[in-house]
Amino acid sequence: MALTEDRPLALPSGDSNDAYTPTGVFTRPTAETGPRSWFTTVDHKKIGIMYGAAAIFFFIIGGIEALLIRMQLWAPRGSLLSADLYNQVYTMHGTTMVFLVVMPIGAAFANYLIPLQIGARDVAFPRINAFSFWAFLFGGLFLNTSWIMGGGADGGWFMYAPNSGVIFSPTHGIDFWNLGLIITGIASLTGAVNLIVTVLNMRAPGMTLMRMPIFTWMALVSQFLLLFAIPVLTSAQVLLMLDRGFDANFFNVAKGANPLLWEHLFWIFGHPEVYLMILPAFGLVSEILPTFARKPIFGYPFIVFSGIAIGFMGWGVWAHHMFVSGIGPISVTAFSLTTMFIAVPTGVKILNWTATMWGGKLNFSAPMLFSIGLVTMFTIGGLSGVMHSVAPMDTQQTDTYFIVAHFHYVLFGGAFFGFMAGFYFYWPKAFGYMLNESIGKANFWLMLLGFNLTFAPMHVLGLQGMSRRIYTYDAGYGFEFWNKVATIGAFTLASSIALFIFNIFYSKSKAKNLPPVGPDPWDSRTIEWMVPSPTPAYNFDPIPTVTRVDDFWYRKYGETKDGKLVRIASTAEVAQQRTDGKGVHLPSPSYWPIVLAFGLPIVAYGLIFSLWLALIGGIVVVAALYGWIMEPPDDPDLAHDDHGPEAHASDGGDAAVPDSADAVKEVETVG
Amino acid sequence: MQRLPKIVRILAVISFTAVVVLFTALIVNSFQNSGKPLTSLAPEGPSAESIQKLLVPVTAIAGIVFVLVIGAIVFITWKFRERKGSDPDEFPSQIHGVTTLEIGWTILPALILAGIAVGTVMTIINLNREEPNSIKVQVAGQQWWWEYRYDLNGDGDFDGPEDITTATELVIPAGKPVQVTTTSNDVIHSFWIPGLNGKKDAVPGLYNPLKLQADEPGVFRGQCTEFCGLSHANMRMLVRAVSSSDYDAWVRNQLKDHAADPTDPVAAEGKKVWQALCAQCHVIKGINDVKMKETPPPLVSGVAPDLTHFMTRGTFAGSIFNLYQPVSSDGQLLPMSDVAAAGDPGAVLTGGPVNTATVNRVTLEAWLRNAPALKPMYPQGGRGMPNLNLTEEQIDQLVAFLETLN
Repeated sequence: MALTEDRPLALPSGDSNDAYTPTGVFTRPTAETGPRSWFTTVDHKKIGIMYGAAAIFFFIIGGIEALLIRMQLWAPRGSLLSADLYNQVYTMHGTTMVFLVVMPIGAAFANYLIPLQIGARDVAFPRINAFSFWAFLFGGLFLNTSWIMGGGADGGWFMYAPNSGVIFSPTHGIDFWNLGLIITGIASLTGAVNLIVTVLNMRAPGMTLMRMPIFTWMALVSQFLLLFAIPVLTSAQVLLMLDRGFDANFFNVAKGANPLLWEHLFWIFGHPEVYLMILPAFGLVSEILPTFARKPIFGYPFIVFSGIAIGFMGWGVWAHHMFVSGIGPISVTAFSLTTMFIAVPTGVKILNWTATMWGGKLNFSAPMLFSIGLVTMFTIGGLSGVMHSVAPMDTQQTDTYFIVAHFHYVLFGGAFFGFMAGFYFYWPKAFGYMLNESIGKANFWLMLLGFNLTFAPMHVLGLQGMSRRIYTYDAGYGFEFWNKVATIGAFTLASSIALFIFNIFYSKSKAKNLPPVGPDPWDSRTIEWMVPSPTPAYNFDPIPTVTRVDDFWYRKYGETKDGKLVRIASTAEVAQQRTDGKGVHLPSPSYWPIVLAFGLPIVAYGLIFSLWLALIGGIVVVAALYGWIMEPPDDPDLAHDDHGPEAHASDGGDAAVPDSADAVKEVETVG
Repeated sequence: MQRLPKIVRILAVISFTAVVVLFTALIVNSFQNSGKPLTSLAPEGPSAESIQKLLVPVTAIAGIVFVLVIGAIVFITWKFRERKGSDPDEFPSQIHGVTTLEIGWTILPALILAGIAVGTVMTIINLNREEPNSIKVQVAGQQWWWEYRYDLNGDGDFDGPEDITTATELVIPAGKPVQVTTTSNDVIHSFWIPGLNGKKDAVPGLYNPLKLQADEPGVFRGQCTEFCGLSHANMRMLVRAVSSSDYDAWVRNQLKDHAADPTDPVAAEGKKVWQALCAQCHVIKGINDVKMKETPPPLVSGVAPDLTHFMTRGTFAGSIFNLYQPVSSDGQLLPMSDVAAAGDPGAVLTGGPVNTATVNRVTLEAWLRNAPALKPMYPQGGRGMPNLNLTEEQIDQLVAFLETLN
C-alpha cells in the first residue's frame, strides 16, 4: 500500500487525479473527528486506541464468564450453571481472554507505540492496519454471537479432537469458535506482517535496530511469533471445519486418524502464542522500570537477545503440553529439557529488571507499581513453569488447578499487570490527561490482593487433586475452603478492574481543571515522549534523528564518564511543539477496510447456516477488494504540494531528513 | 479526595500483609493432606514416591529462588525508594550493565537446571521401565466411566474366556506391580490415581503404558483429568488394593457367571426386566455376553459397563455414588466423596453374600428412575444411559436382581 500512497507525490503539481477515480468508486473520506473518522481511520493511533477499547469490552465479557465460573465453584455441587453451560462458559472465557483480550491489548500497544518509538508517521500499510482491527473486532463479535445462536463452543479453548467433532459437540458452538478465530487469525496475520515491515523499513534516521526501544523489540519478536504461529492454528481449524461441516476424516479415529495430530498442531501454535502474549508486556515494563528508577535499563543487549532467544526457543517446547498424552519417553525427555532451558532467558530478564532497580531512585507511581507487580508475580509463574517442565512432576500436575494457577500467574500476573502498567504510563500520551495517581495506586494494591487471593490457592487445590474443567466437585475432597477464597479473590479482582474504569472517567472529568499535560509528564527516555500529548496525527514534525538508545533522555541529560547525570536541556527545549502539520503527507482514511472486514463474518455465518449467505459475504469481500484496489490514492481536493524535504519524509520514514542534532553532540555515546 | 493517599497507604499495608499471610497459609496447608483423597502429595506406591522424590528438591530450589528474588525486590524497593525532599536534580549513578554479571546469571540458572535435568531424566527412565511379572490390565475410558480388562493368562489378549472384564473399580493386589495400558473408546480421557502414579491420557487408537503399584492395601481414588465432554467432572475411578489372597479370591469370583436364575421371585422378575431393557447395552456373563459381541450397543463408545459382578464394587455410575453406605435418614443422595463412609463391600468383594441392609438403595433407585438427572449425559446422541421410564415395580425388581450379582 505504501507504493499506492506514494504515487500522487510523483505527479506533477496540478495534475488531475481523475484518472484514478473509476466509476462507482467513492472518493476517500476526509473526516478527522466524529464517529465517521473512527470508522474510516487508517491512523495507527486511533486504531491502537480502538484495539484497546475493544479488548477492554471483551475483557468485561470474559471477566463476567470468569465470575460465573467462580460462583459455580464457590461450594460443592454448585447449581448456578448446568454442566453444559459451564463447559461453554469456561471455553469461551479462555478463548475470549486469549484471543480477544491479551492478544489485542498487545496489538493496541504495538499499534500505538511502534511508529512513535521508531520515529515513523504511521505503519507501513495503514489500510491493512485498519482492516486488521476491524477483522479482529468482527471476528470477536461473531464468536460471541454464538451465545444467542445455539450456545457457545463447549470443547475447551484447546478444542481437542475428537471431542470437538460433530458427534460429541453437535451444536454450532465449535463452528463459531473455528470460524471466529480464523477471522481473528487473519487479523493477527495481516497485523503481524504490517508491523514487521514497519519496524524493518520505517525507522527514523539513526534508529538502528540496536537503538530501538525495548518495547519495539519485544513487539517485533512477538509479531514474528504471530506470523509463524497463526497459520498453524488456522490450518488445524480448517481441518476441523472440514471434519465438522463436510465429513472429512482428519480427526476421525474410526477412519485411522490419530487424535494427537490436533494436539501437536494446536500446541505448535499454542506455545509460541504464550510468548507472543507475554513479550509486549515485558517490553512495556522494560520502558517503565528505567523511567521510574531514573537510570538506564540494565543490560539492554541481554534483554533484547533474551527476548529473541525466547522467540526461537518458544518453538521447541510445545509437547510439554502433551507429557501424558502418550508421546513416548524419548519425546518427553527432549521436551522436558528444552522447556527447562527456556527458563534461562526468562530468568535473565527478571534479573536484569531487578538490577535496573538496584541503585536507582525509585518513584512508586502507579505504572511503576504495576511493573514491579509483573516482575514479582511473573517470577511465581515462571518458577511453577520450571516445576512442570520436570515431566514426572507434570504427570501429577497437568490438567489440575496447579496449571490454572501457573498460567494465570503468567498471563494475568505477567501480561496483564504489564498492560496495566502500560495503560497508566501511556494514558497521558494517548489522551492528553493523566490517570489519577492515588486511585491508580489503590487500583494496584486491590488488584494485587484480588489476583493472589484468586490464583494462589489454585496451586494447592491442584496439588491436592482438583482437576481442571470440572463444573462441580463433591464435599469430602478438601476443596471447599480454597475455592471460597478464590471466589472472594475473583470479586476483589473484578472490583479493581471497576476501579480502573472509574479512574478513566473520573480523571477525564477532573482533567478540565488541570493544566494540559506536557509532552513528557514522567521525564521519560524514548522519543515518543518528544511529541505533544495527545499525540498529533502526524506524530513527529520534523522526524528526529536518533543517535543512541534512549535518545530523548540524552537530549535532556548528558552523562559524564563516571556515570553522573547532568541536565543539559529542559524538556521544553528538546520536545516538539504542536504544529499545524501542514505539508506532512499522511495516508487518507478509507471506507474499504471496514467493508472488507465486514464481509468475513457474513461468509462465516454462511458456512454455518446457508452457503447462499456465504456467497453474499463473498460478494461483499470481492466488492470491497475491488474498491480497495481501485480507490483513488488520495482525496483529489487535497493539495499535494511539497513543503520541502519534510513532506517526503512522511512516506518512506527511513528517507526522513534529520533535524538539527546539536543538542546531543556534546554527549558521549554510551549505548 | 484529599484523604486518598492515606487510604491508599492503608490499603497497601493490608494487601501486602494479606498476600504474605495467604502464601504462608498455602505452604502450611500443602503439608496437610489427610482427608484429601485426591492429593498428589501423599504417595502410596513406588511410582508416585519416585515423583515425590523429585518434587521435594525441585520445589525447594524453586522456593529458594522465589524467596531470593522476591526478597531482593522487596529489599531494593525499600532501600532505593525516592526519599521525601530529595533533590530532584540528583540522579543515581547511571549503570548500563555489567557483562560479567550478565554472563554469570545466564550460566548459574543453566547449571541449576542442568542438575534438575539429571534427576528428571533418571526419573523418566525409572517410571517407564516395565516391571517383570506385572499384572496386565487394559483401561478403556468412555463417556463417562472406565472399563478394566485383565489379561490373566498373559496371552496378550484381554478378551479370552480366562480373562476378566469389569468396570468402575480396579482391583489390584497390594505390593505387586500392575502394568496398565490406557486407551479410549470415544474421546480423550486421562487416567489418574494421584496416590499411585501420575496420569496418562486414554487416547482412542493409542495404547499408553502406565505403572501402578500400591505399597499397602487401601482405596485410592482418581478423577478423569482430560476434558471429555458433558460429565467430565463426574468421571471418577477407584483403585482397590487388596492382599494377595483376597485378590486371588476376587479373581476366582470374577471368573464365575450368572447363568443360574435367582431364587428370589422378585429378583427373578427383575432378571426379565433386565433382559428386556438393560441387556441391550449392559453385559452379564452367563446371560448375554455372546450376543453383545455380535451387536454392540447403540452407543458411540459401543460399550456399557459390564455388570456381572456389580455388587462386588464399592461404587457405581462412573464411581460417583457409593453402592454401600449408611443410608441417609432424610433420603438424601449420598455422593461417594464422603470418604469416611467410602463403602467397603467387605465380604462381597470376594463373592460372599450381599448385606442388603447396607446397600445404598436410595441412590440406586434414583439412578434407575432417571439416570441423566443424577449425572449429566447425552443419551439422545448415544452417549450415556437414558431415562428408561421404568415403573416403581420394575425398579424394585431390578434392584432385587442387581443385589444377586455377587
